[in-house]
Amino acid sequence: MLDAFSRAVVSADSKTACIGGNELQSLKNFISEGNKRLDAVNTIASNASCIVSDAVAGMICENQGLIQAGGNCYPNRRMAACLRDGEIVLRYITYALLSGDASVLEDRCLNGLKETYTALGVPLQSTGRAVGIMKAASLAHINNSNTEANGGKRFRKMEMKDGDCSAITSEAASYFDRVISALS
Amino acid sequence: MKSVVTTVVTAADAAGRFPSTSDLESVQGSLQRAAARMEAAEKLAGNIDQVAQEAYDAAIKKYSYLNNDGEANSNDTFKSKCLRDVKHYMRLVNYCLVVGGTGPLDEWGIAGQREVYRSLNLPTAPYVEALTFARNRGCAPRDMSSQALVEYNTLLDYVINSLS
Repeated sequence: MLDAFSRAVVSADSKTACIGGNELQSLKNFISEGNKRLDAVNTIASNASCIVSDAVAGMICENQGLIQAGGNCYPNRRMAACLRDGEIVLRYITYALLSGDASVLEDRCLNGLKETYTALGVPLQSTGRAVGIMKAASLAHINNSNTEANGGKRFRKMEMKDGDCSAITSEAASYFDRVISALS
Repeated sequence: MKSVVTTVVTAADAAGRFPSTSDLESVQGSLQRAAARMEAAEKLAGNIDQVAQEAYDAAIKKYSYLNNDGEANSNDTFKSKCLRDVKHYMRLVNYCLVVGGTGPLDEWGIAGQREVYRSLNLPTAPYVEALTFARNRGCAPRDMSSQALVEYNTLLDYVINSLS
């Protein structure tokens, strides 16, 4: 497993070069923007169960067949497995976001996931849609741009300092996109 | 590769939980100390050729018999390889400063070191002398800030201990 720092080391070692200049500058940015990253991880982790259940509920809303007899979220046992998997995917995304590198997500979560789901008969398109909803919710939480109209009764805004979070937002989005593309 | 972040993530994954507040605190702690390490890494990367050359010269000066016929520093090929080895250690120190742990030195420098030097019939004392010279040569605030120098010297001591 690598993080942003060891990723820089591995790529420098392949060229037998020292780490200096530009690479070091991006790592310095990583350090100075570190609090945004920690806030982003914290806000996803704190709202994880809400994000996951909302995503699975949304996925079912759009495709009622899933909870009818023969659907993949029927009966409760399979619905529970679906919620559990959503939480696992979101958990590995927070790990990747914390370390600033996708290797933990790739190695421990996505590697072989599509094959497993195909073998178990899990519909990949629905799974991808649930991840897409988790992505939208998580990014709204990171930016604190969620509104009462979107959140409804479960609306919650974290107490965070406002600032420019575009870099960490697009990084988080890239991890969700990685999951979606691994499943399609 | 081992670092504060990967250790935290491995522990959280083994327990199957999201990163907790204490996990985030330990990452925050390592990020706070990271500025000094980055400074040392930057200064070392900028001067690695001179640092390695001076350290190599000091070692050959102390062990001048190495220049004799049949010894480890007796021809140009050997000389350039000795210098390359010293530079190799300095580069790994640079990596360790970036990662914030001894992973790169452990995995790429120290593992198998003794066996290689023994089979090539190389003495380790000159390496120790070169690295000790590099350690004693560093000076704060001329070369880098004192905190950065502490991080740098700690890693040089780590290599010296592995060789002696």
